Formats: sequence, C-alpha cells, structure tokens
Amino acid sequence: MGILDGLGEGFSVALDPINILYVFLGVLIGTVIGVLPGLGPTATIALLLPLTYEIEPATAVIMLAGIYYGSMYGGTITSVLLRLPGEAASVVTVFDGHQMAMQGRAGPALGIAAVGSFIGGTVSVIGLILLAPPLADLAVEFGPPEYVALTAFGILLVTYLGTKHPVKALCMAALGLLLATIGQDAITGTTRFTFDQVELFDGLDFVAVAMGLFGVGEILYNLEQTEKAEQIKTRIKNIWPSRRDFRDSSGAIGRGSVLGFVLGVLPGGGGVISSLASYALEKRRAKDPTRFGKGAIEGVAGPETANNASSTSAFVPLLTLGIPANVVLALIYGALLIQGITPGPQLIDQNPDIFWGVIASMFIGNLMLLALNVPLVGVFVQLLRVRAGILAAFALLITMAGVFSVNNDPFDMWVVLVFGVVGWLMKKTGFEPGPLVLAFVLGSILERAFRQSMLLSGGEFDIFITRPLSGTIFALMAAVVIYSTVRGIRRQRRGRPAALYADQLESAAPGQDTPGAESEGTSWTPESDHDDATREVGPGERDGGGSTRVDIDRP
Amino acid sequence: MSRHLFRLAPLVLLLLGIAAMLMARDLTLGEFRSPGPGLWPFLCATLLALTALVLLVVDDPEDYEPWTRGTVGIGLGLVSLAVFIVLFQEIGFLVPAVLMLLVWLRLFAREPWRWALPLAVIGAVVFHLVFVEALGVPFPDDIVLGG
Repeated sequence: MGILDGLGEGFSVALDPINILYVFLGVLIGTVIGVLPGLGPTATIALLLPLTYEIEPATAVIMLAGIYYGSMYGGTITSVLLRLPGEAASVVTVFDGHQMAMQGRAGPALGIAAVGSFIGGTVSVIGLILLAPPLADLAVEFGPPEYVALTAFGILLVTYLGTKHPVKALCMAALGLLLATIGQDAITGTTRFTFDQVELFDGLDFVAVAMGLFGVGEILYNLEQTEKAEQIKTRIKNIWPSRRDFRDSSGAIGRGSVLGFVLGVLPGGGGVISSLASYALEKRRAKDPTRFGKGAIEGVAGPETANNASSTSAFVPLLTLGIPANVVLALIYGALLIQGITPGPQLIDQNPDIFWGVIASMFIGNLMLLALNVPLVGVFVQLLRVRAGILAAFALLITMAGVFSVNNDPFDMWVVLVFGVVGWLMKKTGFEPGPLVLAFVLGSILERAFRQSMLLSGGEFDIFITRPLSGTIFALMAAVVIYSTVRGIRRQRRGRPAALYADQLESAAPGQDTPGAESEGTSWTPESDHDDATREVGPGERDGGGSTRVDIDRP
Repeated sequence: MSRHLFRLAPLVLLLLGIAAMLMARDLTLGEFRSPGPGLWPFLCATLLALTALVLLVVDDPEDYEPWTRGTVGIGLGLVSLAVFIVLFQEIGFLVPAVLMLLVWLRLFAREPWRWALPLAVIGAVVFHLVFVEALGVPFPDDIVLGG
C-alpha cells in the first residue's frame, strides 16, 4: 500500500465520529493530567488501560496516543505559570517560561509553546509516515537473533540512557524479565514459579502490574510528599504571540522538530531528553546566551516543540519493529497485546487501520490541541485547585474497579495492590519502575527469540555476532556499556554526582556563565559535549517545589 | 536510620535472585543446544543476583528516602484498600466504595465531612453507573441493590 492510499485509509478511520470523539477525549485528558501535578501520562495511561478493553484496537491506541502527546501540552502550562512542571518533559520550560510570565508575557510563552508543539508534532507525523514503512519492510526479514538483539538493545538503552543508576535499572530489568517467566512455559508447557496457584498459570497480568507500579505506586508516593495549595496570580492575556515572537522562535521550532523526531525514535529517548537537548542546543546557538534564563522565547519554543515531536516519533519503533522505545509506549504495546494484536513489522499490512488510523489521528489530535489550548488555557489553570488527595481517592477507585473489569477476577486487584506497594517502595529506595515494566513486556519475546536462536545455532552464541544486523546491534550495545561505565567511573573519581540526569539539568540550567569552568560533557547528545554553563540548580528549579519530581521514567 | 539499613533493599533482591536461581535449576535447565524451561529464568535470576550483589556494595545511601509520619498514613491507606477488596467480593461495590472514598478524602485530602460525605456517595454511584450500567462489568452482587 502506498503512502497516499495508506493516509486515505487512515483518515477514513480517524474521521469516524467515534474515533474523533476518542482522540478528543485523549488530548483533553492528556492536557488535564499534564496540568495536574502528581499524575503523569504514564500513571494515567496505566490507569486507563482496562477501559481500552472495551473499545476497538485502533480507537484504543488513538486515545492513548492522544493522552501522551496531550500531556506534553498540559505540562507546559504549570511550568510557565507556577514554575511547577506538570510532567518531567516540561522541566526546562520552567527556566525561561516562568521568567516570561514574571515579565507579564505568560500569554505569548504559552502561545508559542502551543504553536511549536503543533508544528513539532506535525513534522514528526510526516517523518513517521516516511520512515515507518521502509523500516517495517526491512524488519520483515528479521530472524530470532535480530529480535534478541533488538529487544535486548531496547532494554539496555532504557536502563542506561534514561536512568540515574544504570546498575539499579539493570537490576530492575532483570526482575522484570524474571517476572515475565511466571506461568506456563510457551514451548514445553511446564509451569514456572506458579507455587500451584491456578491464577498464576497464565502469568501475571500486564495491566495489573503496570497499574500497580505506575498508577498506585505513583499516587502513594506523591501523597507522601508535602502538598501545597497553589495560587495563580498571573493574568493571562494576548495568548497569540506577536510577529516578532514568531520570528525569534522560528529557528528554535525548526531545530526542535528535527531534534525531537530523531531522539524520539531512539530507544530510551523521549520527551525529557529531547527537551533538554533542544534547550542546550538553542542556548549554544544563540548570539547572546545570557538572555537564556531571563525570558528568552527560544528557550520555551525549542524544548516544547522537541518534546512533542519526540512523543510522536517514539511510535516509529513500536509500529514497525514491535519494540517500545519508552515506558509509555510499553503501555500502549500492552494495550495492543490485550486486544490480541502483536505490534511488529506485519502491523502495517495486517492492521492497516491501526497503523494509518493512528497516524492520521495524530494530525487531527494536534490540530485539536492547538484549538483547545489557545482559548482554554485559563480554564485549564483552574484545575490546579483540585487537591492531590481528592484526585488520589478517585484515581484509586477507578484503578480497582478498572482492573477487576479486565478479567472479572478479584485476584488481579490483589496483584495491583501488591505491585502498588512494590512501586511505592521502589520510588522510596531509588529503584525505577520503568525498566522493570519494559523488561516485563519484552520478556516473553526475548525469551522465545533467544531459545529459537539457540535451537537454530545448536547452542552456539556466535549466531548473534556473525549475522550482520544482529552483530551490528550487539556491537552498539557493547559500545554503550563500555562508554557509560568508563564515564561513570571517571565521574565518581572527580566527585561529581553519578546521576546522569542531575548533571544534564545542571548543564542545561541557565545562570551566570562561568568561562573555563570544568564541565564534563553530557552523554545524551553529541552536541552538548562542550556546554559552557555550569551552575548548581536550586532546589526550586530542580523539582519545581511541588509534588512533581523530575522523574526520568516518565518520558 | 541505621547507617547500613539501606542495604536491606539490595539484600532482599539478592536473596530473591538466589531463590529464583535454585527454583529455575529444579525446572531443568537443559543445555544451550536444547534449552529447558528453566534455562532462561536461570539466566535472568543470575543477572538479578549479580546486579543486587553489586548494589549491596556500591549503592548510594542518598537514594533512600527516610520514613516519615506520612508513611504511617500510606500504610493506613493500603490497609483501607485491602479492606475494600475483601468487602467488594462479599457485599458488592457501592458500600465499600463509599467507605474507601470517605477514608481517603478525610485522611489524605482532609476534606471536611460536609464535603467528604457527598463526594464519596456521588463518586461511588457515578462509578457504579459507569462500570456496571455503561460498560457492563459484572461486579459481585451488591447488598444495597438487593442482588
């Protein structure tokens, strides 16, 4: 099917009244939870997974995708007005966005973010259309060793790139892989780790695990943090940016679109990293970098464009290779599995309605977001009056009723509760649930591919290295591991924080430039190797001061 | 908090990994040429145990947040959820839902009774309508509805 035929089919799916309703619901919910602190896109999608059971697969993905990119819009609002990022990808928007608000330019800041997000999203959709079909054609040739390589690469990148402590993340990934083996072995039929519980024969339910770890775990964790009532004093007027604003930020939007698209496609990428990268890029390109942190509109336009572009392009690996690039995509992957559809290279041919329908709906969704955001910012801001405690009570009840509805089995409610406790404890002890869930989702694919590879090769491991494609991927994996290990050791020797993320924020944060200050490059993008500004990020800037934490497992 | 208490988490993971390795071995490992059902879990468990062992030595105590008074509240909240699940199976959705919402709205949101009570009742009824009437989920028989 050609691209035009595909898009034609896609729009016929996306323009179906039901699907229009769901894409609207998705972007609306996404914006709302983006505004509300304490409930990120990951938690929301996890909580809503059971509801997708009841609707058509294409519709389900359309809605979940809408929540994802919608939340990127919503997070901006609180970043600009309150210095409180509603979700992690909007952290850098705080630097200049809030300054603009203090100067009475909150309107243009939000306006340019909405326009930039729209452009970034649209560019990314076009990239997705062009890149996905050839990639899927290539992937059809993949054998088991290539799948071992790809899934292992995905897990590895998520554990190494997106987290503070690679070893802790790897530990959680191992736990996720182990949990995925619970239940009957698909090849021999042997029951594994079931402890003679009939409920465990089919394995742990993905929905229950994800809802527990992300939904309940995150709600509990946020409840424990101190809660502050927020007051909005800023008046918002003149949302639409001036012609000069557009001229100033057009370059940032263009670069942010491309950067966001590229970083979103890579496993382990996503909103947070791409917005940080865009901020660093804009700051370095600027003629006068000292303007950054004092209300430079490029510092809002670039990152906001990039995080939206990346949230769209993250669908490329999922829809073509069947590999979720980050945790939100892992949840969407799970939603498709529930519907009996395994995302992969065959998806375009076997379920063109899903592939093209989702893509076409993204056009519509981005347009809706632009239309919603520009006039309705004032309304969304009022949502901040809802207190986290009230939200938590209702979200938990939805969780419990929702997870029951998947299999009509109270056992799943206990699974949610147990994993909720586990998720909360993990957050308190610095273990991140993201790698666990990603590994849990990919575990059965990885195991099957591994065992098939072993059968193919007669137990020889060189099958992974001698085949050109899997060999290349494994070589890349080795490079990532060696590089980050060496860096980690060097950094510890110099007494710098081992946390990858703190360092990135630090180097991206605005402030007085300290020429000649020793600043080690950050590993997440080649451009940032010679970042020139280093400053301690004050606690208010780092965590927004509210219940929202900078949290890398939220893409 | 004792200086080494934070090592408890890696220790638990290490023991979990070793236990899983032993259980996987009993499932028969086979060999790489013809993998048995226990081989893959054994490899995963080994990775878990090894990483946990590394963490036991190198982990950063600063990662671990202290227990606060809020923690006690979370514990109470969890108990209320467990009670909800038990009651839900016995007497249906409505009564446990109202009770759970009441506990949470009073305990965590600190809403006054005049707000908490109507919110809880309305919330429970709305969720009942959504899940049972609109989505057709077969909740256990409800004592309120005389099921």
